[in-house]
Amino acid sequence: MAKKRSSIIICIMILTILITGILGLARFGAAKEPTWPDILQNAKGQTVDWFMWGGFPHTNNFVNDYVAPRVYDLYAIRLRQVPVKDISEVVSKLLVEKQAGKNKNGKIDLMWINGENFRTAKKNNLLYGPFADLLPNQKLVNWNLASVRNDFGEPVEGMESPWGSAQVVMIYDTVRIPSPPQTMQALIKWIRTHPGRFTYPAPPDFTGSVFVRHIFYHVDGNADFWQQQYDENRFTESAHKTYQLLKELAPFLWRRGTTYPESPSRLAHLFADGEIDFAISYHPAEASKAINDGLYPNSVRTFVFKEGTIANTHFVAIPFNASDTEGAMVIANFLLSPEAQFKKADPQIWGDFPAIDPNRLDADWKQQFERLDRGVATLPEHILQKHQLPEPPSHILIQLEKGWEKHVLKKR
Amino acid sequence: MKPWFKPMIVWLIPLAICLPFIPLVLWSLSDRWFYPALGPQTWGLRAWLYVFGSAGAQIIASLLQSILVATITAFTSVIIGTPAGRALGLYDFKGKDFISLLFMLPVIVPPLCVAMGLHLWFIRLSLAETYVGVILVHLTFCLPYSIFVMWGVFSNYNPDYEHQARSLGASSGQIVLKIILPFTMPGLIVAGLFSFLLSWSQYLSTLIIGGGRVTTLPIMLFALMASGDRPVAGAVSIIFVLPALIVLLFSARYLGGRSVVGVR
Repeated sequence: MAKKRSSIIICIMILTILITGILGLARFGAAKEPTWPDILQNAKGQTVDWFMWGGFPHTNNFVNDYVAPRVYDLYAIRLRQVPVKDISEVVSKLLVEKQAGKNKNGKIDLMWINGENFRTAKKNNLLYGPFADLLPNQKLVNWNLASVRNDFGEPVEGMESPWGSAQVVMIYDTVRIPSPPQTMQALIKWIRTHPGRFTYPAPPDFTGSVFVRHIFYHVDGNADFWQQQYDENRFTESAHKTYQLLKELAPFLWRRGTTYPESPSRLAHLFADGEIDFAISYHPAEASKAINDGLYPNSVRTFVFKEGTIANTHFVAIPFNASDTEGAMVIANFLLSPEAQFKKADPQIWGDFPAIDPNRLDADWKQQFERLDRGVATLPEHILQKHQLPEPPSHILIQLEKGWEKHVLKKR
Repeated sequence: MKPWFKPMIVWLIPLAICLPFIPLVLWSLSDRWFYPALGPQTWGLRAWLYVFGSAGAQIIASLLQSILVATITAFTSVIIGTPAGRALGLYDFKGKDFISLLFMLPVIVPPLCVAMGLHLWFIRLSLAETYVGVILVHLTFCLPYSIFVMWGVFSNYNPDYEHQARSLGASSGQIVLKIILPFTMPGLIVAGLFSFLLSWSQYLSTLIIGGGRVTTLPIMLFALMASGDRPVAGAVSIIFVLPALIVLLFSARYLGGRSVVGVR
């Protein structure tokens, strides 16, 4: 079903690209650069509709109970959250609006986006334009980091503003596994010696797909190589090795690899129910949060591989036809404020990792960030940061997802 | 038939309907529930506090919008579907197969295509992001069902009653009120119920056409239902299903006795 839907979306995208190409594009912008005080002034009284994934109660609470009242008090902006199941549906909607020539008064003012969806939006001119550099709080962001400057290999170029970061961690229960395997090599060995106790979500699920990319980096041996260049032969070889390894492992997986969980939440359920011994999460603080909520037992902890795990940044972007662009910019800026970033990092609130660099803060805030208790199962930030691998460009990601389905799932 | 057989069936059916809700209720009230325990180890109201606390205002507003949209859609669907069903059920005409295929199309074509194709036109007609637009797109999915239900009803309907009434001096209005309506009432309710439930559960078409301005219950809740938080997913599912269940039970009263088949 999801497969069918995505192929339909791709068809529609190709059609749209053709049609928009033929009609010629009216690029946005061209007007003179507004100043921040102008933006603040114009933002007053605007209602910003923020379309975002709404599957996590804590994120919803952070946005509705904290960000919304704060931006109303500070800037007289009303924030309205529109929770969606998948932001790609919103990108499809924008594609149609572009095609219909609806270039203003769009309903979407701000969207939570990254990776493939950002790439689609950027390639099809669905974004407002470079706005990130206008935001005063941008100085707190370390734009030299590869994972901030490039969103899955796609240059950000100010078209979106970061608001949080994430890194893959492995989740385990110390009662069941006192000393978990510390490298990918050791994990592979562990899987072979513990049949039926490991699995990963089926790509193109986000988490399943990132696990396959870890295997890809493992067999390829050099994650940084793919950031700067692309070597067709090397990719084919490493991708082949990836599928080969995963095919060999399949009989040792949960249900002998005949089926895979469809989402990280299914994986988390299998882990919580004791059917498997590891869960994979793209959110370093998720396990702590789950312990707080009673979804995991207190003995659950996380680890990263010695060779590192993949990290990325998530962003907010403004669509080309947004009605309340100034308000959206003010909110994007507020999200980067030390106050909002600190609140967001509190595991009692959400526990999302900051998009700003604490070293760029004044001593007072810096200390507060250092003192923040991130939760019992969350790794300290310096450990996470020392073990970060970049995401490969999204065309590699898409090829690996397709290859996985063909070679590993259908065993061709 | 054994004497205990009928009451057993009468009780088994509601039981079968209610059983799946028991885990939902348990999950929504659980605080900690780990394998292999049969029931929650600790109980708590975290999920319900979320649903009625911070998300409460959003959810109640969207509940009202859902009721409004689904009710209007259901009525419109029955009003449009009945004449079409009558024509298909009572008369033979050229191109009948082709027309019935046309009516079925929105069910055959994937909903995403229908919604995205209509979106383009709705933007041009300024129907996008309006309630009218959302009701219209829901109608494309509901109409095939109400037309086909009414087709079935009218193919077992005897129009001679109408002729008799007319020969006794009844006006067209009286015929509709005293002949057609009573004879087809169970069918009308089934068609309305189908339409209501279909409209109630529309997610993608509402998101695309309603564009976040029309926020029905699925828009608010579907993301949470798929989330890994079972207590919240449980509570949210109950909120979503309960109104539909009430509508179902209420209309079930009219379905007993005379069946959907109508009267010959």
